[in-house]
Amino acid sequence: MLNEDERKILTLRFVVVSLVFLGLGGVEGTMMRGRVDNLDTPLLGLDPQHFYAMLTAHPFVLIYGFAYMAVMGAFYFLVPFVLGRDIYSKKAANASFLLMIAGVMTVWTTTFITHYAPLYTLYWPLPVAVTAVGWNPVSILPFGVGMILIFAAVLAFFFNMFATIFLPLRPKASSQPKPAFVARELVVTAFNVDKLRAKIRRVPDYASKVFTFPVFVVGVFRGCVDTTINAVIMGGVGVLLSTYGIAYLLPSMALSPTLIDPLIYKNVFWWGLDMIADGNVLMFTAATWYLIVPLLLTRKLYGENVVRSVILADLLVSMGVWGHHMMADTPQPLGLLIEGQIVTWGELVTMGLTMFAVLMTLWLARPVKYTAPLKYVLVSIMGYGIGGTAGIIQANYAVNRYFHNTQWIVGIHAHVQLLIGLGLTIFAAIYALFPMLTGKQLSERLADVQLILWTVGGLVMGLSMGLAGVVGMLRRMLYINGLGPFQPYMNAALVGAVILASGYAVFLVNIIRTVGFKTILSIFYAPHKEFQ
Amino acid sequence: MQYAFEIFYLALLAVIISFIIFFYIFSRKAPKKHDTDLKEGPTEADVKHGMHRNERNWLYFLLAVLLLGNLVTLSPLIPSANHGLWTQSTPVMTITIQVDNHHFIMSQQPITIPVGKVVEFVVVSHDVTYGFGVFRKDGTMVFQMQVVPEPYKNTLMWIFDQPGFYDVRSTEYSGPQNPLMYVPNAIQVEG
Repeated sequence: MLNEDERKILTLRFVVVSLVFLGLGGVEGTMMRGRVDNLDTPLLGLDPQHFYAMLTAHPFVLIYGFAYMAVMGAFYFLVPFVLGRDIYSKKAANASFLLMIAGVMTVWTTTFITHYAPLYTLYWPLPVAVTAVGWNPVSILPFGVGMILIFAAVLAFFFNMFATIFLPLRPKASSQPKPAFVARELVVTAFNVDKLRAKIRRVPDYASKVFTFPVFVVGVFRGCVDTTINAVIMGGVGVLLSTYGIAYLLPSMALSPTLIDPLIYKNVFWWGLDMIADGNVLMFTAATWYLIVPLLLTRKLYGENVVRSVILADLLVSMGVWGHHMMADTPQPLGLLIEGQIVTWGELVTMGLTMFAVLMTLWLARPVKYTAPLKYVLVSIMGYGIGGTAGIIQANYAVNRYFHNTQWIVGIHAHVQLLIGLGLTIFAAIYALFPMLTGKQLSERLADVQLILWTVGGLVMGLSMGLAGVVGMLRRMLYINGLGPFQPYMNAALVGAVILASGYAVFLVNIIRTVGFKTILSIFYAPHKEFQ
Repeated sequence: MQYAFEIFYLALLAVIISFIIFFYIFSRKAPKKHDTDLKEGPTEADVKHGMHRNERNWLYFLLAVLLLGNLVTLSPLIPSANHGLWTQSTPVMTITIQVDNHHFIMSQQPITIPVGKVVEFVVVSHDVTYGFGVFRKDGTMVFQMQVVPEPYKNTLMWIFDQPGFYDVRSTEYSGPQNPLMYVPNAIQVEG
């Protein structure tokens, strides 16, 4: 069992490590921007294989090392805090912390040392194409093991979240429900089957069982459903790579890459991978907004019942959105392409209603006294507005013919949504939690400077990349004979990256001058002295 | 088309950013007297079928955008949707391109294509996933598709409306050798 102070330390450890990974990913990102810009300096003159190895590690470091660890840390404190109960398993909490660090570092080290570079897309059979691409066969196994460790960490976290929300604390009383019953209820409510039953049986004033939980917790468990699917699929890919990696090391165990159908693999892969967009990015973000905004304004969330329905309805949307990644695959059945487009546009409705609820909550609280977390939430909504509309635009059959694999996808959609949408939501949570965790207040002035630098930097970088994509610049491409018409866009993107990095530096200064570097280190070796 | 799109998106962006800035400014001010009705949020009487009127209107707007957006972008008004979904014309020629070991293998170079006629590209990969993208000389993209490896054949119909030379690139990452998969003047459109 963990007491509240131990939970605070656990959360702080997650947050500190996540910020280290953010710094690491940021340095790599800036180096790659310099390489794309063909800056021929000793630090930035990466050879293509090294560049692509870095590009492979980049999303693993930032999505799992930064975003997931920050989310895990925040929820390990907030879910028990909101429910007024303890985390279900201390062991699972510590395991998720250590496994995630081990996994991300294994992936990062493998790519750094061996220059293994299948990218996060891992399109079959590229990750195991030793002959065609020239990978060092020794690199496949540790990369696969790194993925397994990452997703084992994710599953340990989700087990703990589900268990904390739905299971009775141990030791349990005999009258408490059995885990199988709770699991069944969870599935039934997650898919709205209970609502359907109530409608058929004409139960008046029906309220779903999950409605008894605070809306923040509903968002967390709903996001955990998607991200568990994501972890199972991606962990499965890790197992697949490890198996092929072992086969390469044991010549007697030859495995042909043709055993796996590349198109079916790609569908399953994207079905699982896109769940992270819905679970971690959209749902966990929504849950955090639903907690922070009403809490800081001391008023109820606007349209809470609608919000709860939207959270659950979005699960159906998330099951069908992967098709927008397959629109340039002409062997893909046409029906799936059209389905992918229409269902993806469904995100417009669910995310639109989510933003509406948050903005109305703010509007009805006029005059709002904006503290740092509220400002960050407001600007993160803008990030989702920009990145989300870009996503909707590219997720259609006709436009995708021009935009697929261009800088548009990775610039305006991915980076703006992740840096300004998700990134600022995470910072909002950190600013809101910091006084609760440490008893100290971060500087509002520095928070404002960081917000401006981060937002301007993210927008300049993301938009420059995206607009280069509109005129045909490809993502994942080195224009080794010169960037030609794309040069001005890439120069601007590099400037944006530097502004963004300075925003991160301001945040570090804010943290260090508030609590001191020694105190930050002490949470890893002498936590009891500092924060109790 | 690309430049028109650029202007459209920048305008959309300006609307989103302006909205947030104005929202920030006005939400810091106290509401006017006649705005205070909703100060405590919607009451039971305001809510029908679990939704407030404003929220319901917003939902209808979002549904309308969803419906209209899909109808327009899947309609024959958009050239690539027209080629892919609506046009059943027979191609005047089929161009088969093999891709192996990070090389495009073409039967002739440049491939000569008539302007204004439907042509079919069939691209087959013998090892990993590639991309097949055709680009104008100014670097803007004409079209692209993914090249999923065998047993799949990747096919696409297109009508070139401008004569001239076009370059081919692999538009999907296929390993660190991918940037070298660039064939300048691979296609010549005549007419």
